[in-house]
Order: sequence, then C-alpha cells, then structure tokens
Amino acid sequence: MAKKSEEQTLEEKLKRLEEIALLLDRGELSIDEQLKIYEEGMGLAQQCRDFLEQAELKVRRLSGDDEMTE
Amino acid sequence: MTEQPVSVSELTYAIKGLLEEGIGDVVVLGEISNFKHHTSGHRYFTLKDANAQIGAVMWRSRTLTFRPEDGMRVVVRGKLSVYPAQGKYQIDCVAMRPEGIGDLHIAFEKLKESLRARGYFNEERKRPLPRRPRSVGIATSQTGAALQDMLSTISRRFPLLDVVFRPTLVQGDGAGVDIARAIVELNRAHVDVIIIGRGGGSIEDLWCFNTEEVADAVYNSAIPVISAVGHETDFTIADFVADKRAETPTAAAVLVTPITAEDLLLGIEEMRRSIVRIMINVVSSLHETAESFVDGRAARRITERIHLRGQRVDELTTRYGSSVGHHVSMIRQRIAHTVALCASLHPLAPLRRGYAVVERGGHVLTGADVLHAGDTIRLHRQTESSEMHISTILPQRSYLPKDRTDG
Repeated sequence: MAKKSEEQTLEEKLKRLEEIALLLDRGELSIDEQLKIYEEGMGLAQQCRDFLEQAELKVRRLSGDDEMTE
Repeated sequence: MTEQPVSVSELTYAIKGLLEEGIGDVVVLGEISNFKHHTSGHRYFTLKDANAQIGAVMWRSRTLTFRPEDGMRVVVRGKLSVYPAQGKYQIDCVAMRPEGIGDLHIAFEKLKESLRARGYFNEERKRPLPRRPRSVGIATSQTGAALQDMLSTISRRFPLLDVVFRPTLVQGDGAGVDIARAIVELNRAHVDVIIIGRGGGSIEDLWCFNTEEVADAVYNSAIPVISAVGHETDFTIADFVADKRAETPTAAAVLVTPITAEDLLLGIEEMRRSIVRIMINVVSSLHETAESFVDGRAARRITERIHLRGQRVDELTTRYGSSVGHHVSMIRQRIAHTVALCASLHPLAPLRRGYAVVERGGHVLTGADVLHAGDTIRLHRQTESSEMHISTILPQRSYLPKDRTDG
C-alpha cells in the first residue's frame, strides 16, 4: 500500500521536525550546523503541509464473500 | 377476447367490501412497532408478531389511557378497513390496552442478562480506542446514508486514514450473521479499529444488532469495535458489548479521527515558527558578538557598517520567516558575508600583518590623536606588549592622503 508508506514518511518527517526544533532550541550546534538544520526544517514543514493539504481519502473495499488477500 | 377489464378502483372497492364485511370488527393481540404520533394528533403504527404484521391507525378522536411505545404488546379493538389510495388494509383502532412487554423485548432482556452474566459487558474488558489510528474497518450497508456520512466526516477531518470498507447487510434475514462475518474479516485485514453500524430505523430494522452472533463477534474481536447504530435512545446488544458506543455513524467517524489534518497543520506551523524564532535569535546574537569585537568610539564607523549589515540580515530573516521555503541559500550567504566581514573588521586582525595598536593613558589612540615627546605609551603587537617613552616626534607623513581631513 503506497499510501501507508507515504504516511509513515509523514510521521517520520514530523518527528524530525520536532527533533530539529529541539536541537535548535538547545543551541549546542555550530552556526553552520544550525543553518543546515534550519534549512532542513523549513523544507520539511513545507513538505508536510503540502502533503496534508493534498491528501485525499482512499477507500479499500472488501467484498463480502472475498477472503482477504494482502 | 371478450373479457371486460375492471379499473383499479373497482377492484379495490370490491376488496374493500370483501374485507370490511367479511372480517369487520376485530380484537387483535400484537406488538407495536414504528409508532408515530403525527402532529395532526392521529397515531399510526404497525402491529406485529414473529411472522406477520399489519398496519394500524388510531384517530385523534379515540382516547388512550397510556403512552404506546414500540415493542409494547397490546390488545387492539377496531375494524378492518381498506385505504384505497394506497391499496393498504389496516386496523382502524377504537381502543387499545397494553398487554405486558413484547416477545421481542423479552428475548432481548434474556439475551442481555445472559451476556451480562458471561462478562460481555464488563467495563474492564473494554479496550481504549487507538489514540492515532492509521486505518479503520467499516461494516455497514453499501447503500445507506451511514457510509456516506462516515466517509465524508473522515475525509474532512483526516483523509490520510486508510478506510477498509466491508459492505454488510444491516437489516433483515441473515444480517446478524453477516455483521459477525464482517467483524472477522476486518480483523484479518488488520485495521486499527472497527466501526459496525447503520443509520436509524425501527426496532426491527436494528434487530440484527441484538443477536448473539454479533455479540460474540464483537466480544471475540482482537481489534476495538465501535458500535454506531443510529438510534439515540435505545441501546442494542452490540452497544453494550462494543468497546465504545457512538450515537451516530458520524460520531463514530469523529472517534476514529481524534487528530485531524488541521491539528497537524497547526502543529507544523507552530514548530516552523519556533524554528524561525530561534534562528532570528542566533543571527542577532551574531551581531552582538560582532559588536563586542570592536572598541566603541575608536571604531564607530566600523560598528555602523556592521549595524547596516546586521539590519540587512534582520530584514532577510524576518522576510524569510513570513515566506517559507525561499531564500534559504540567500540568507545563508548573507550571514556568511557578515561573519566574514566581522572577521576582517576585527580591530586586532591587522596585528597579524605586523601592525600595532597604540594606547595612552588606558585609551586606544585613533588616527586623530596626537603624540608628544615625553608621552608614555603602550604598544600592542600580536604576541607582546611593551611600554615606551617618546623621545622625539618626527615630521608628519600621511599614509592615508584621501582620508586626511585637516592639516
């Protein structure tokens, strides 16, 4: 299921975003590193937003007499 | 063909005559279902038993000594009549009295007690619903409004939820068995939570949710089950066994989307803002560091230049903060420039090239200060400082002709 893996990616992205906010907040990194993850964080935020805003409901159908195949 | 056809009305009136005269007055024992007290004051309902049902009407003019309710067993006295406009026969009730609790309800109460005794309703065996479900299994009718209500609610709240739909009979013969099978199949589909349900209906319509098969399937489900039988007042057996009861299918859809896409977007925005805020702090502390490099009066111009640079960085940072995703490399470059500028403007940097800083009486001398013979000065070079007395002042020679402001 392609969608599921995408959603996991979304979750991973959100996790990384939180991590970045935390890292920046701690302020232990060099300016260079800070700038790097700042950039990464901004990119992630945008990607997550786009993904959420474009998401469409997908319905998988089990037919009544069908044995589940997955 | 010589047969002369009769009109529908003629046939209907023939039937009417036959039934009303042939049967006429009746006293009937049955269970009330689908009782409607119309705003006109007339009452319409169905009388039924296990195998048959018949429509009934009780006009406003007839008095009642109790409040009829669905499932109540009553004895009705009246007259069989035909309503030609709908081709329906019905009992025109003159009087009605209650007769204990209906058979269905007795059966319902019996099953409920037996399941309760077996621990099916125990609160401690009920599982919490997943806090952030990824998928939901839905067992309901393919054609009912319940499905549309649930799908549109999920789509609006959290379209990333995977929906596995199992078209299911939720009314009539075999519905109980089908619901039970649907629960088993949805268990095999490994969804995170299951909704079984349908929109409202009469007690009989909902009856399949009162069967033992459904109770067993819900009880044995490895996955939490929400019952969403759209009937706010009556509880079904499924409601009692389910891990959670929702009053309507829409309410169930809300339960499986506790975190909405909007919540996530807000969270992302908050994180983005805090990241930008932190970066702005980083940049401004960079300015402070740069300023601390230079000694106030002696390097006012330098400080000004740094301020100008800093302002530029601030502008960029602020602007960047309000338009995500752009100018990242630009601001990086600007900051890198600022850092490089700070380094080149460091007042002690020239010392590396062999120049010295002259200090007199605790103040660093600028180009405008004048030295006199006999002054005691300190000379700071890159690696050492020394104190000296000036013996002679030599004739002035300018190294910076363009910068000379006076003679």
